[in-house]
Amino acid sequence: QVGKSDVMAGSVTSSSKERPASRTSFIPELQSMMFALGDTRRPLYETAALVEDIVHTQLINMLHQACEGASLRGSRVISAEDILFLMRRDKKKLARVLKYLQFRDYKSKLLKNLEEEDVQQEPGGLAAGGNQRRQRLAQDFLAWMDQTGEFLSLAEKQEVDPVKQERMERLERHTRNMDPAQYAEFCESRQLSFAKKASKFRDWLDCSSLELKPNSIATEILSYLAYETVAQIVDLSLLVKQEMTVKNNPVSHVISASYIHYNTHTESSPATVEPPSGAIQPCHIREAIRRYNYRHTVGTHAYRRSGMAFLTC
Amino acid sequence: MDDLALERYFDDSIANDPSYMVEEELDLQNSLKESHASSTNSQNSSNLLGETETSGRLSNDLDLSFLPDDLGNQSSTTTVLATAATNQNAELDVLEDSGINLDDNLHDMAAVKCQVTVNLGSESNASPFCPMTPMTPMTPMTPMTPMTPVTEKSGIIPQLQNIVSTVNLGCPLDLKFIALQARNAEYNPKRFAAVIMRIREPRTTALIFSSGKMVCTGAKSEEESRLAARKYARVVQKLGFPARFLDFKIQNMVASCDVCFPIRLEGLVLTHQQFSSYEPELFPGLIYRMVKPRIVLLIFVSGKVVLTGAKERAEIYEAFENIYPILKGFRKQ
Repeated sequence: QVGKSDVMAGSVTSSSKERPASRTSFIPELQSMMFALGDTRRPLYETAALVEDIVHTQLINMLHQACEGASLRGSRVISAEDILFLMRRDKKKLARVLKYLQFRDYKSKLLKNLEEEDVQQEPGGLAAGGNQRRQRLAQDFLAWMDQTGEFLSLAEKQEVDPVKQERMERLERHTRNMDPAQYAEFCESRQLSFAKKASKFRDWLDCSSLELKPNSIATEILSYLAYETVAQIVDLSLLVKQEMTVKNNPVSHVISASYIHYNTHTESSPATVEPPSGAIQPCHIREAIRRYNYRHTVGTHAYRRSGMAFLTC
Repeated sequence: MDDLALERYFDDSIANDPSYMVEEELDLQNSLKESHASSTNSQNSSNLLGETETSGRLSNDLDLSFLPDDLGNQSSTTTVLATAATNQNAELDVLEDSGINLDDNLHDMAAVKCQVTVNLGSESNASPFCPMTPMTPMTPMTPMTPMTPVTEKSGIIPQLQNIVSTVNLGCPLDLKFIALQARNAEYNPKRFAAVIMRIREPRTTALIFSSGKMVCTGAKSEEESRLAARKYARVVQKLGFPARFLDFKIQNMVASCDVCFPIRLEGLVLTHQQFSSYEPELFPGLIYRMVKPRIVLLIFVSGKVVLTGAKERAEIYEAFENIYPILKGFRKQ
């Protein structure tokens, strides 16, 4: 069975798939999210549209593969296990998903403490299993899959996640110079997530082409993965953007009068000229994806049917 | 056993036990008087009827002091509440809340007044360890824990929002019977295996389990929680069960306050990584897990801080005093 027809090796978007105009769009939310992840105050519309395309394609492809796994094991829904199975190769990302599930459990436990009224609304809460159901689910599956003990240790790993660390530092620098009003806006954007708009997310995903549908925990994980994909794209694109601006000025730190004169206005080739806002552009994203694909498909294994690496696993 | 017989039974037990004390006046200056149970046993009901605590109480739901507590040596402690050197908790309670919650014999009728003293405490810029409210009884200063010199007190006192406590009534209960007989009780065994009961004063909710254990939530102070728990126990008792009041324990205290300036959470999460986690797409506040004292703080951009996980009031104050200078360092200018 050849790769899915809608994604050619090397191509980034599902351009051959007809997208009805009335389809829900996350573009405004994506613009907000990109700002929250380190892009400029008003990310470009085209950039957000491209990101939306990429994220959607990736999710649908993941879902298709997860669907196959689910039907193979005789299940009637796509569950968390199928998605975790797809991610088994990348331990770091798997660890991040586990931490996310732990956090969700912890948050519901914490909030239950704060709001006494919830006591009777969550009757299962006082039962032993209720509190940690997501984490428990994940642990059970990993135990089943674990041959060498590497997965089970993931949940306990306390080491610093370098990607998250870098993101934290970047955001800290970003916010240092904001004034309170800007910062308030920034914080609001940071709170946006796909999980908050669960029903819109479900519509946008459009699982109609799938034989089996994802259950609620699987959808939760998918919304988290969607956010992580956006974050990854922004991470990589910012790097590319940074590189592109200095690429043509390798000796920019050595300044002489003639350099200043000749180089002030013609810094780089048209393809990398930045708009005054310094926003991420579609070309940065395409380049970032190209590099990522290259790194991740060459030589890994022959079964990458979609031809495009998943950013989240 | 009919109601009257029950009452008589309980009244008799008070008459014979000098250690049970009923607080007749809410005068805080006199709150530490010696036990006068022997003289008041016959006037119990009238005392209680005359008490000024609240207007919303049922007339047959008054006498709670005789609930045997199984805490052994209570009789000698009634006069020493003033010093209460044994319990750190008391320091705050004595000086702030007229120190009643230690000794269950002196059960707290002064919930209302306690609130007043707490408020006064905040106005007078009290530190957590030596609040000098004008209503402090003229007791000598209890020995306090030595305080490390702090550069600047915050001047803000977190307000308690919710107290969760548990108590063991000491006998198995027929939940169906309770749910049918008691007012304000709900019981839905398919959803949850406990009776949910509510009272209006103090405004609390109780979960009563068939094992006899009970959880009481919603009170705004330790004394309120204890008082409410006693009321629930009394209700159960009136229904005919041999309820006692064993191992009352405060399990969790939640407080909140406002530092009144915006906080740059990205900076805080970076420098205090081992303690904090901030995922705004999941939860808008930063979760700070303080190690000493073991308290979880939820810190929001707006400057609001919620503290939870405390077993004692002192922990809340200490945690807040610890975090305040850190928050000031990340004030968003």
